[in-house]
Amino acid sequence: MVHPATWLLAPLLLGFFLAAGGTAAGKPIIIGSKQFNESYILGEAMAQVLEARGYRVQRRLGLGGTLICFEALRSREIDLYPEYTGTIEQAILKLPRHATRETLNDKLREAYGLRLLRPFGFNNTYALALPEDLASRLGIAAISDLMRFPNLRMAFSHEFMERQDGWPGLAAAYRLATKPTGIQHGLAYQAIQERTIDVTDVYSTDGDIEKYRLAVLRDDKEFFPQYLAAPFAHLGVDEQVAAVVNELQGKISDAAMRRANAQVLLKGATFAEAAGSLLREIGVAQATRERRDGAFWLTLLLQTVTHLKLTLIALLAAMLVAMPLGVLVYRLQRLSRPIIYAAGLLQTIPSIALLAFMIPFFGIGVKPAIVALSLYALLPILRNTATALFSIDPLLKRVSIGMGMTTWQRLRHIELPLAAPTIMAGIKTAAVINVGTATLAAFIGAGGLGEPIVTGLALNDSAIILRGAIPAALLAVLTEFAFEVLERRLVPRHLLQRLGA
Amino acid sequence: MSQIIFEHISKTYGATAALRDLCLEFPDKMTTAVVGTSGSGKSTLLQHINGLVLPSRGVVKVFEEPIDYARLRQLRLRIGYAVQGSGLFPHLTAKQNITLLARLQKWERPRLEARAEELMRLVNLPLDYAPRYPHELSGGEQQRVGLCRAMMLDPPIFLLDEAFGALDPITRGEVHEEFLRLQRAAPRTVVLVTHDVREALKLGDYLVVLSKGELQQAGPCEEVVASPATEFVRQFLRTQLET
Repeated sequence: MVHPATWLLAPLLLGFFLAAGGTAAGKPIIIGSKQFNESYILGEAMAQVLEARGYRVQRRLGLGGTLICFEALRSREIDLYPEYTGTIEQAILKLPRHATRETLNDKLREAYGLRLLRPFGFNNTYALALPEDLASRLGIAAISDLMRFPNLRMAFSHEFMERQDGWPGLAAAYRLATKPTGIQHGLAYQAIQERTIDVTDVYSTDGDIEKYRLAVLRDDKEFFPQYLAAPFAHLGVDEQVAAVVNELQGKISDAAMRRANAQVLLKGATFAEAAGSLLREIGVAQATRERRDGAFWLTLLLQTVTHLKLTLIALLAAMLVAMPLGVLVYRLQRLSRPIIYAAGLLQTIPSIALLAFMIPFFGIGVKPAIVALSLYALLPILRNTATALFSIDPLLKRVSIGMGMTTWQRLRHIELPLAAPTIMAGIKTAAVINVGTATLAAFIGAGGLGEPIVTGLALNDSAIILRGAIPAALLAVLTEFAFEVLERRLVPRHLLQRLGA
Repeated sequence: MSQIIFEHISKTYGATAALRDLCLEFPDKMTTAVVGTSGSGKSTLLQHINGLVLPSRGVVKVFEEPIDYARLRQLRLRIGYAVQGSGLFPHLTAKQNITLLARLQKWERPRLEARAEELMRLVNLPLDYAPRYPHELSGGEQQRVGLCRAMMLDPPIFLLDEAFGALDPITRGEVHEEFLRLQRAAPRTVVLVTHDVREALKLGDYLVVLSKGELQQAGPCEEVVASPATEFVRQFLRTQLET
């Protein structure tokens, strides 16, 4: 009879081979984008224009925020992505305000080997918004009106809270005393609709502004800098490619952009469709692309397979490092504190920061995600291995030495088997953590079940979010179950530490 | 010359002395029982013989040579070691416990099987107990498995550290009988540490009395009982034998 564990492992292995397929030959132009609506659409628009001119394009859309995209561009993992002048000025170069594109480009070329191509036209700057009915009831039209209502509940995206051209500068310029809270941008609209918050930051071309009937407040002190969107490229991108993308220069107005955004948000168009009709509207030729949409289950299967691949490889790598390290810690007790503290420190690094940190070394995609995930898996395995070995009954240790067993024999036949249940528990913890954390891998284009989550957050569409979240949760449960089966097979029953046993 | 000789052995842990200037010869192929109050250093003494404890001063000679501490493993393979509560490995079955050392020594399977069976018969362990895990055995059965394990390689020296301490009186009596039968059948040099003077007199041929790390008296059991050398020995034997 085939053991159930085999059935659990088979799809994992199959998936591993499926997902390990190679990439096509040649050198396509790689287009990235951040993980919000407009960035996706602009990425798609650039891709479609290039495809119409006969270029082969690879899409790496929906990478996590500015940091990830910027690092990916700098490492030439992507060739182009849409960026905003204000973001470059404030967040990347940290320049004084109102720099010209020439100034920006001088600095970018010198410091990073990057350049900003010609702006698309519209200005998507930060703005503050609140529900239309609330605005008219309180008589708020401009930001300075907010001074009169310090009790309004404000929640801003984390990036806005951090940036000098965001809340800190705004609060100083307008002397606002409210203490805002942080919120994921995609969730802010939902919160505002449910009236759990009153005011949030928006981008002036957000399609959501229409959808949620928000009033955009006038920036009466002209605090917010210009955020002109433009293709951002590294210096290795050749002039012909730049020329094609520059065809879009000045052609996309605020209104056109807002319509394209709303098309995705309100009418459920795909990013590709929205980009296509935007290009049609402004009269720039676009490639006629068959967008295959259906195949829901196939997409889900492939995402699950990628997810499992990420998790499994990372787990194996972590085991290969953490278990010997645990033994080392046990043998050389002097090392135990430094090593375990170091592993604990890794655990505290926010995942997005860790992922961004990986890009210069491992690029974007699957590789850095696996490295980051395995770093997160180190601590539970390492700690459990060391703890299990340290807590073996000293009498048994004495007997095994007194019997005449060598160090290696003791480790192999006595200490590791006795530690096995605890080590297994550590591996199980790490696996379940990894299944959850692997959803973040979508931020650096590694795919997996995080992909629908990221897209869903960008669209503020909980149905799409659930497409990733539910399978990921099921996978976590399944992982727990698979490990229980494995444990029952590997560990004598009376040594098992079971929940509720 | 005896197989085990202590020459001026002292052992100190920091400022406290566990053993003081001990000179002893353990008679070959006989059972030497080491007794004393708790903290007398008797277990420390035993662990000097298989090198688990190193002397601070003095020389331990085993098999007629000073112990070579760089080659302890070879020495230990020739010294059986059984401890209180049996010290069986919980993840191994009775048989796996018994045959562990022989397997590590790469014994041929038939030889290994035959030896394990022989030992189990010798200590009255039913052969169908072989696949049981330690927790599925009674205390007495565990102790018998522990003895089998220590005897697997047929070591000429046998160390028992309170090996029968955790047993109930009836089981203990049975295991004692088996021990005596084993010793009659194939005598070996046994050092037995116990806090129980009755057990020492029943199993031992030779008695060593320790107090606070100092040797009080050593000699054949009857001799020590008949003429205690110090006031401590007299008191110790009397209180122990009266209760």
